[in-house]
Amino acid sequence: MPASPPPLPPPRTAWEPLPPEAWTAATARHLLHRTGYAAPPSQIERAVREGLATTVARLFRPSPTPERPDSFGRLDDLRAEVLAAARAHGMSPEARRDLQRELRQARNTAHQDFSLSWLRHAADPKHSAYEKFILFLANILVVGLDGVRDPILLHRHHQILREGGLGPYPDLCKAVSRSPAMLEYLDLQRSRRENPNENFARELFELFILGEGRYSEEEVREAARAFTGYRRRGEDFFFARGQHDSGSKTLFGHTGSFDGDQVIDLAFQQPAARLLLPSRLIREFLSEDPLPAPYLEELGNHWAAQDFRIEALLHRFFSSRIFHHPGHRGALIKSPIHFYLGLIQDLHLQVAPFPRGSLPFLRQMGQPFFEPPNVRGWVGGRLWINASTLAARRSLVDFLFREDPEAVLNADEAAALDAARRQGPVLLTVGPQRFATFAELPGEMIATRLATRLLPLDPPAGFAAAAAAFLDQAPAGPERNRRLALLARRILLSPHYQLC
Amino acid sequence: MNAPPVLPSTRREFLRHGLRGAGLLAFSRHLPWFLAASTLRGAPRPEKDRSVLVLVQLAGGNDGLNTLIPFDNDHYHRLRPTLALRSSEVLPLADGLGLHPALAPLQPLLDAGHLGLVQNVGYPNPNRSHFRAMEIWETAAESDHALSTGWLGRYFDNTCSGGPHDERAPRGIHFGAELPPSLQASRPQATFGVTPAIGRRGLRGPERRLAKNLLEAHPAAPANLGFLSHTMMDALVTEERVGRILSRYRPDADYPANRFAQALRGVAALILADLPTRVYFVSLGGFDTHSNQAATHARLLSTFAAGMHAFQHDLRRQKAGDRVLTMTFSEFGRRAAENHSAGTDHGTAAPLFVMGESLRGGLHGHPPDLDLPPGADPVHSTDFRCVYATVLERWLGCPATPVLGGAFTPLDFL
Repeated sequence: MPASPPPLPPPRTAWEPLPPEAWTAATARHLLHRTGYAAPPSQIERAVREGLATTVARLFRPSPTPERPDSFGRLDDLRAEVLAAARAHGMSPEARRDLQRELRQARNTAHQDFSLSWLRHAADPKHSAYEKFILFLANILVVGLDGVRDPILLHRHHQILREGGLGPYPDLCKAVSRSPAMLEYLDLQRSRRENPNENFARELFELFILGEGRYSEEEVREAARAFTGYRRRGEDFFFARGQHDSGSKTLFGHTGSFDGDQVIDLAFQQPAARLLLPSRLIREFLSEDPLPAPYLEELGNHWAAQDFRIEALLHRFFSSRIFHHPGHRGALIKSPIHFYLGLIQDLHLQVAPFPRGSLPFLRQMGQPFFEPPNVRGWVGGRLWINASTLAARRSLVDFLFREDPEAVLNADEAAALDAARRQGPVLLTVGPQRFATFAELPGEMIATRLATRLLPLDPPAGFAAAAAAFLDQAPAGPERNRRLALLARRILLSPHYQLC
Repeated sequence: MNAPPVLPSTRREFLRHGLRGAGLLAFSRHLPWFLAASTLRGAPRPEKDRSVLVLVQLAGGNDGLNTLIPFDNDHYHRLRPTLALRSSEVLPLADGLGLHPALAPLQPLLDAGHLGLVQNVGYPNPNRSHFRAMEIWETAAESDHALSTGWLGRYFDNTCSGGPHDERAPRGIHFGAELPPSLQASRPQATFGVTPAIGRRGLRGPERRLAKNLLEAHPAAPANLGFLSHTMMDALVTEERVGRILSRYRPDADYPANRFAQALRGVAALILADLPTRVYFVSLGGFDTHSNQAATHARLLSTFAAGMHAFQHDLRRQKAGDRVLTMTFSEFGRRAAENHSAGTDHGTAAPLFVMGESLRGGLHGHPPDLDLPPGADPVHSTDFRCVYATVLERWLGCPATPVLGGAFTPLDFL
């Protein structure tokens, strides 16, 4: 039975590094479950051997850019055609409509390919922690397919986050203010000197840097003026000097002819700027319930003293005594993407090379790639879970245990699978043979091993006995293998497996 | 001797196996909701008197001008040279206004005063993106503000539905795999989605026992483990219960075989089974009629009208027509002027339907002014949040201001 965890360390020492003697298989497992998607024994051993600081540094190394989907080329071509058609007169409305339809389809295909290429990239354990972290940043510096429409711009935005994800946060905010996807999503593209659009300025303060109630409406208006002239041309940012309001602005007690970058610097001088990113980090990676204020302030002050370098914040956070406190183990709910990629890694499968193998599940579980509900991103936590999303998690597990996945593929999917297999093995589902290797072991031992391997927490008392009773009713052979697969599915659908 | 089933699917089944009410209370965190609720009250309390809201989404943007048609208006015929319907075609309703002929199945409801239309409903600074406009209707936000919760989700957050354990019964049931954003609350609220797979997923025998074992959370375990355990337990029990209600239902009306009507049939089944659920959600899609609209729109309205008629007829025959209010919404109307493809593009305000025996039927609000400069669209005359306020205050019995984040004057259809 789990004993009640010891009390939290006091705020002053909570963020100090975990003492080396406390870096064990248990703490390593916790770190891997939280930073990545799974905690296989080999990775736990390696982490323990290398030590905590080295492990954290290794996990948060920038990962390379995921492969750029081929369909981006097709979309590029079509966009050029549509532009040319818009200039050319005499095109019939029907032809114009057909071209628009083709463009829509090309966008859909490109977005699906972008999603799949990212999933494949993030499923590689070498990239998982960094990509998971970038996804976290993308849920703060939010853009979405609905407002941007062009997956090539989303891909570019993602790359901006990937490149700036460890540097100073003010620099990342400046880069994001120039992200072509952001210019579209929060309307800077349509902001004019005579009529500045306040959308970006408001979210910059409220969602990216300071938080609600930490700025005035007057400051939003003044900041909106500073961001006039931010434009994109295709995939690139450019500054339209003629549209920029270079007049004097007053905000946060300063007056000057500020530009956008200077406004961001001014915002980071506000005390609240120390707290927003750390509090989001705590909520995403440590505890759904906020920590008492002194803990947050302690972490924020340390971070500010490191020039807001995100890398420093991550190292401090993930090495800390409080992060590794036993009370935090297995306490968070996996996001749909975590659940999916965790299954892929835990079951040694590959991301299916066609949309139907993953994307509809992500949508039904509530996290379609780069399609957040709105500028606030996904709330997550307990709100990932309802009867419908649970049913979707179950459908996904059912799909990954299908015995005949290839029998239900259409021609396109079969072709995509063939193409992928020319690059390497692609295992779509867990076949019945998977369990044959250890089917001979006693049921109780199998159950304990599966639970230890897959779950971030101990299963309920009596689980091993119940599982053994279930398994050992069947003699060795196909029926026992079938029951082994059912047992594994039950574990993956247990409340425990939804946690990390 | 057979062991008792470990996941009971009916109250009777649970009780038959000798569990006593007093003993159950200690574990009520992990009990199926219906059992915990009735044990606490001492006796099952059917929720017969509760008013129910059925929300019908017309997804894609329904063309309001060709739904409630100002057939005498010269501007209408000017704006709609090919799509306009003539006075001889429409079902006359009031001076100069008539319904699209495909809505004929609704005529008896109109005659009986059980169908109302709120005219020209919208909001300031209308948005023409499907996604954003739908989100505005779902969240009841200002058009320049994003909210993470739906208006009915906030209704759930702002009310408790009765007994202390009632919150574990589904507060809302939707037809379709994904939770409609209208029902998204700020904290977990039990909801349930009916999909065609229902009833085909039951667990049996030893696997069921195994599942049960894994749902037992230790009291000292992280809070989220307990939350997951009881949500999963409730989902399992609800799924079995809903599946049984749907498969055994004998309606008192002929529902067409299409998915929309069958969903409404399911709603009737669940309402008549006296679930404590007060909010149901059904969607009919395809209203995004950019080209060759006439035939598509007629077909959609016909599907809509036949389904609605069967549903209300069924409820009436089974004496539940007076405690169910059905209301439609759509993300926007279409533009006033048709486009060059014999269709219409994304527009602004539009009428919505309200149906039930307890409402004031006929027309409410004011029709749009169509004397518009070129390229302009009607400006709404009724804010959609006034419709929501009416439903919240006069139907669901919930103060509207905290839900809607402001005071909106209720309308007189209730």
